Amino acid sequence: MNISTDPWIWIASILSLAILSFLYKENPIFRAAEHIFLGVANGYLVTFYWHRILVPILFRPLFQQGELLLIIPFVVGILYLTRFIPRLSWLVRIPIAIYMGYWTGVLIPATIQAQIIKQMQGTVLTSQNFQAWNAGSWGIVWSVLIFVGVLCTLSYFYFSREHKGVIGVTSRVGIVFVMTGFGAAFGYTVMARISLLIGKLQFLLGDWLGIIR
Amino acid sequence: MNIVMLAGFLAIAPPASVRGYDTPDDGGRSITLEWTLSPDDGVIERYEIYRSCNGVDYEKIGVMGRGRGLFEDDTEDRRQYYYKVAAVADTARAFSEPSAPVMSSAQWLNRKKINIIVAVAVFGGLILLFIQRARRGQKLFVRKIAGLQAIDDAVGRATEMGKPILYCPGIGYIEDIATIASLSILGEVAKKCGQYNTELINPHFDPIVYTVAREIVKESYASVGRPDAFDPDSVYYVTDSQFAYAAAVDGIMLRERPATNFLVGWFRAESLILAETGASTGAIQIAGTDQVSQLPFFVTACDYTLIGEELYAASAYISREPLLLGAIKGEDWGKVIIGAIIIAGSILGLLTAFPILRLFD
Amino acid sequence: MKRNFPLLLVFVFGVLGIIPFIIPHPVVQGTDEFLRNNLLKILAAFALILGLGSLLRVHFDKIKRRGQNWEYSWVLIATFIVTSIIGLFGGVSGTGILPTRIGSFAFDIWTIYFNVEVPLGAAMFALLSFFMASAAYRAFRARSTQATLLLTAAFVVMLGVLPLGNEISPHLPSFAQWIMDVPNVAGQRGILFGVALGMIATALKIILGIERSWLGGGGE
Repeated sequence: MNISTDPWIWIASILSLAILSFLYKENPIFRAAEHIFLGVANGYLVTFYWHRILVPILFRPLFQQGELLLIIPFVVGILYLTRFIPRLSWLVRIPIAIYMGYWTGVLIPATIQAQIIKQMQGTVLTSQNFQAWNAGSWGIVWSVLIFVGVLCTLSYFYFSREHKGVIGVTSRVGIVFVMTGFGAAFGYTVMARISLLIGKLQFLLGDWLGIIR
Repeated sequence: MNIVMLAGFLAIAPPASVRGYDTPDDGGRSITLEWTLSPDDGVIERYEIYRSCNGVDYEKIGVMGRGRGLFEDDTEDRRQYYYKVAAVADTARAFSEPSAPVMSSAQWLNRKKINIIVAVAVFGGLILLFIQRARRGQKLFVRKIAGLQAIDDAVGRATEMGKPILYCPGIGYIEDIATIASLSILGEVAKKCGQYNTELINPHFDPIVYTVAREIVKESYASVGRPDAFDPDSVYYVTDSQFAYAAAVDGIMLRERPATNFLVGWFRAESLILAETGASTGAIQIAGTDQVSQLPFFVTACDYTLIGEELYAASAYISREPLLLGAIKGEDWGKVIIGAIIIAGSILGLLTAFPILRLFD
Repeated sequence: MKRNFPLLLVFVFGVLGIIPFIIPHPVVQGTDEFLRNNLLKILAAFALILGLGSLLRVHFDKIKRRGQNWEYSWVLIATFIVTSIIGLFGGVSGTGILPTRIGSFAFDIWTIYFNVEVPLGAAMFALLSFFMASAAYRAFRARSTQATLLLTAAFVVMLGVLPLGNEISPHLPSFAQWIMDVPNVAGQRGILFGVALGMIATALKIILGIERSWLGGGGE
């Protein structure tokens, strides 16, 4: 056993064990670690935003390099603080409107390209898509299965009709595909999650206690 | 071997038809050069590209391997350039005729994105059409969505047990549509909390989302005639750090023991931590996200899960507001069109030689 | 004005968000760059002030009225203030006006980040392996067709990914891969189409001012 003498390794290990104690039940040690986590995380955020954003992108260019255009984001940013002044609190909608408007606008063409057009391209039955499987004639079968699965799943998300009759059948087929897909995603992540636990155990037993190398 | 024979042995044919043009669909500062390969392309080492601003003094600006007849040059806009291409073998260089003068410029439209513009127009137009119809009073039907039907019961359960409701909108930002959808549902849940005098706990990951949520909840309480019941501390910011936020919400679940947990919004890996912790306390859990990677964990750990688009349909379903229902109708027609395009594209792709896949590029 | 001006802004900036996708001209791309790299980043930084104000108020209130677990609020406030001071005055790499080293013991912001926040986050992440097992057990107890289907697929794929799967049957890994490539893709694609349409509808409603819940009710 080769216990570490680095005080930070001790701090990290004790805090990690405090978090893991949560598995037994919620307890004062977990509570303390949770509040330390929140305090440090928020303190780090303050540091990050000050040193990486406000100083290099706003204050230095505006006050030292004379880039007067930056007065606009400065003034608009300050409008957030009007939330604390009841008579002027409506002004907080201005920076929110700018932020939300821009990013929802960006989303529209990006979503259409990545989630609609590209996905349609992959679903359409063509000899090119069959050959992409490199599975001979089985490629046709798999492509047809995806084609059917996609259309049935689409019918599950059709809200304008009750799921009865033809739509009832196709939506039930669709949910079979959805649940199978969910199970596959669940199973696929198991190894990744276990490797995270192994990594944490390696830190505690190796770096801290020196029991394993 | 004499000089004449040596000269004949080393002579190579130059490339031909050198043509320069403004690179299309870009922001300028680029010229594309094309040329016909030298008949001796198989034996040369490379092509060298030369450029001049006056048609007299040329300088070498680039090199391309044999077999390649295309080159893109970085230029200044509205300035004339002339090009020559030389086929090179050892020390021999065979220069093409100079190209016609060409200038680069910026375009105002990227024609490669025409299919996206068409799609925005079609889908956007459909959605707006049905919103307009809803405005004119057309009745619109939306099928039952199990998770949303359970909201009333879930709030009622918390009221009867005298325990709070936890509403967690996830770790998304205000521009994430799942977060916006979650805030709409929060507004409806807050109305019920105001009506039944049920405590609401609403911790937030993002300060902007917190600011908006606070106003929504306050307005919800006011709209049901209970502005006095609104507790400003019920809606609060926690941290912008993913797992610190998860630790805080877990702590709330285990200490406050809410009867009902709403996990609705944009989530990542912390989704399972939150859902499992909530399930261990015996709370009723209603989850919803558009993150396909997190849905499996919500489905296994929660009582009801809003899958993908069901989350967006939620605010329309709960409020029954015609404009919101109109949007759902438009989305449904969008799905019909997508299905029709896939089917029609498949028929064309299988029965004809039409390069259907290129329409999607 | 108090509602209409923000609605106008959301429309203008919504359009400014869309057009760089289709207009490559430097005027448009340059404006987009200013918005993304300057304006919006600065706005996000100022928004944090509101959030921190809320957090500190909640915890100071809890201390004042001796709410449940009020002592831990002191822990949060103290660690927040200490970390902020070290970060702001100690500099990014310990190069600020505040010394961040006593002998060989360093306590600059990066050291705190790597030895407190990162291991705590990793510990939370490590909890997932336990929670996956309990979630699977919960789904197994549910005994619905959908839960059975989900668990079966999960089990097959999990075994297929492990070396053990190949020991059980040489066809298991390829069957697991087939589940990932065919039914999984079909189901996900169907969900994605619906999600995409819902996103576009909501985004359009916001930009065109039809969806107004984000305005709240105050001020008008």
